[in-house]
Amino acid sequence: MEFLHRLDRLAYALAPAFVILLLMLASLIPLRVPFLPSVATLLPLMAVFHFSLHRPAAVPAPALLLFGLLFDLLQYGPGAPLGISALQFLLVWRVVSSSRKYLLEVSFAFIWLLYALVVGAAVTLAWVLGALLQASLVDPWPALLQYVVSLFLYPILGWLLGRNRLAEASS
Amino acid sequence: MALGETFTQTAVSLRTVVQRFSLGLLVLAAVGAMLIGKADTVLVERVRAVVSDLVTPLLDAVARPVAAVNDFVAQIEDVTNLRAENARLREENARLLAWQGVARRLDAENVELRGLANFQEGPQARFITARVVGDSGSAFMRSMLLNVGRRAGVAPGQAVITAEGMIGRITDAGEHSARVLLVTDISFRLPVMIERTRERAILAGDNSSRLKLNFMQSVGGIQQGDRIITSGHGGSFPVGLPVGVVTSAGEDGIRIRPVGDLSRLELVRVVDYGVTGLVTNPPPPPPPLHPVRGR
Repeated sequence: MEFLHRLDRLAYALAPAFVILLLMLASLIPLRVPFLPSVATLLPLMAVFHFSLHRPAAVPAPALLLFGLLFDLLQYGPGAPLGISALQFLLVWRVVSSSRKYLLEVSFAFIWLLYALVVGAAVTLAWVLGALLQASLVDPWPALLQYVVSLFLYPILGWLLGRNRLAEASS
Repeated sequence: MALGETFTQTAVSLRTVVQRFSLGLLVLAAVGAMLIGKADTVLVERVRAVVSDLVTPLLDAVARPVAAVNDFVAQIEDVTNLRAENARLREENARLLAWQGVARRLDAENVELRGLANFQEGPQARFITARVVGDSGSAFMRSMLLNVGRRAGVAPGQAVITAEGMIGRITDAGEHSARVLLVTDISFRLPVMIERTRERAILAGDNSSRLKLNFMQSVGGIQQGDRIITSGHGGSFPVGLPVGVVTSAGEDGIRIRPVGDLSRLELVRVVDYGVTGLVTNPPPPPPPLHPVRGR
């Protein structure tokens, strides 16, 4: 029993990292469902936001750096910028985990607003850096569309991932 | 138990170290990665190929269910467009029948003229069929991941085609995976010519769904509906692969619609033309002559 208990705790501790990796893979799958491709790239970032708020200990910053680099390697081809996702993950983690003491007591609407602000800033940062590193003006519309669709998707994803909220908040 | 406690203690102290590890350093590491990505592209591409090789089997495993879902979605879309599609196909069929006659006549004439002129054929192309297993929906890049790599003979610089024409180029190849840069990508450039006028130009993507045509000597002769084909300059592609159709030719430049639906690709073919001329990466070392151990 002791062993099973420990296994259970280990699974609990590793779940967020596993979910982020899984979403990174999922975002690469060429699924042609309407609207899904336009948001797929932001799925890992959404999960990072979520877990930074609810399970910050389970997503340590060094792991996020690694995940971000891996994601950049996976989703782009040669000559493409590297490290942008890593920077996004780290900054989102920093902003959210530092203010989570207050955030755990506010209503979901407020968290959603914070999501809009933080992820909006992260997407803008990625766009600016992408344009700088490629030394050309990248069309901002796809990034904007991704952002807007992710706004509507966040409550659903948050609900799907969010069942552990009380568990950690009370411990 | 003692082992468990030691483990817990180590984990706790490790966590303290990690938390002390200032975020600033990690951010610096991310920025450093950006600079390395800019400076040492060879190293980064090698790592990228390894990562792609690791992930491709996973994506390959789900490729069939994904294709089933895509088919289902496509069927729903098709049913809703059935009537319009039917009318379009009838019209196209009538036009194609007319062209078939023309093609037969020209083919016969061509054979005769080649005989007369003692014409030398170009190298024979070899085709490698591949499944699209990954697709970057990123806002900055238009590329796809294929489930074939160097083992199958794929190499950087080769053209990637569908039944309708060329859709991209291999930019890097791992052992079992390869990445295609799509014609719509912002860094894509391709020497082409206008099929009707034989005028040469450079085709360029800009991440939108339409392509641009650069470095035209004159834009006067070009019309809406003109077909764009590869010119074979640069050496690595066969001549005459269709690439797109002119959708607008005006003051603000010429816009091209790529052939085929780039968002619906499942199977593509890589053209091994046997010639690697202008490629972005150095050619890979030749494969060993003896069979690979253990396989």
